[in-house]
Amino acid sequence: MGALALVAAAIAVGLAALGAGIGNGLIVGRTVEGIARQPELRGTLQTTMFIGIALVEALPIIGVVIAFIVLGKA
Amino acid sequence: MTEYNATFRKYIKYMFFLLSIFVLGYGFTPYHSIFLGLILGSLFSLFNLWSMYSKVERLGQAVIHKKKVKTLGSLSRLLMGGLAALIALRYPQYFHLLSVVVGLMAIYIIMLIDSLMQAIRS
Repeated sequence: MGALALVAAAIAVGLAALGAGIGNGLIVGRTVEGIARQPELRGTLQTTMFIGIALVEALPIIGVVIAFIVLGKA
Repeated sequence: MTEYNATFRKYIKYMFFLLSIFVLGYGFTPYHSIFLGLILGSLFSLFNLWSMYSKVERLGQAVIHKKKVKTLGSLSRLLMGGLAALIALRYPQYFHLLSVVVGLMAIYIIMLIDSLMQAIRS
């Protein structure tokens, strides 16, 4: 049971990191392009990026929490 | 003050308002473990908010000055969630696990509601 819990936690954290990485990469890439094109819109673009990163990372955080719960209860 | 800083201050204000409600709930209701869990989760959520704000600000400055930024601090934010869960698992008599998880999501719920309100107003 302990070994299965480790595998489950590892899969959860791995997929969470994958999701966060891909999501953040897309968001930051588009934002950097936008800021490079129009530096005067930096404030607006940063705000949108800030909200986007937060929403993208919400579910991976839950994934990591579930991984730690599985490890703790095993 | 830029729009970005104003948005950050607004979210901080809402988070402190929510935290004060949780503290009142802890003080005046018999559900101590639930409200303590919400307070713990919200404090970690507040750290995540500050972390995102500072990293995004640094990225914006780096783009303007044509410098590089190594990370956005995602790992530290993910591990903060894990740390909150570990504390709740270590002290289950003080912190209700589910309420810690809900507290962790507090800032994201605030952001969603704020975005919806802005969309409805415009």
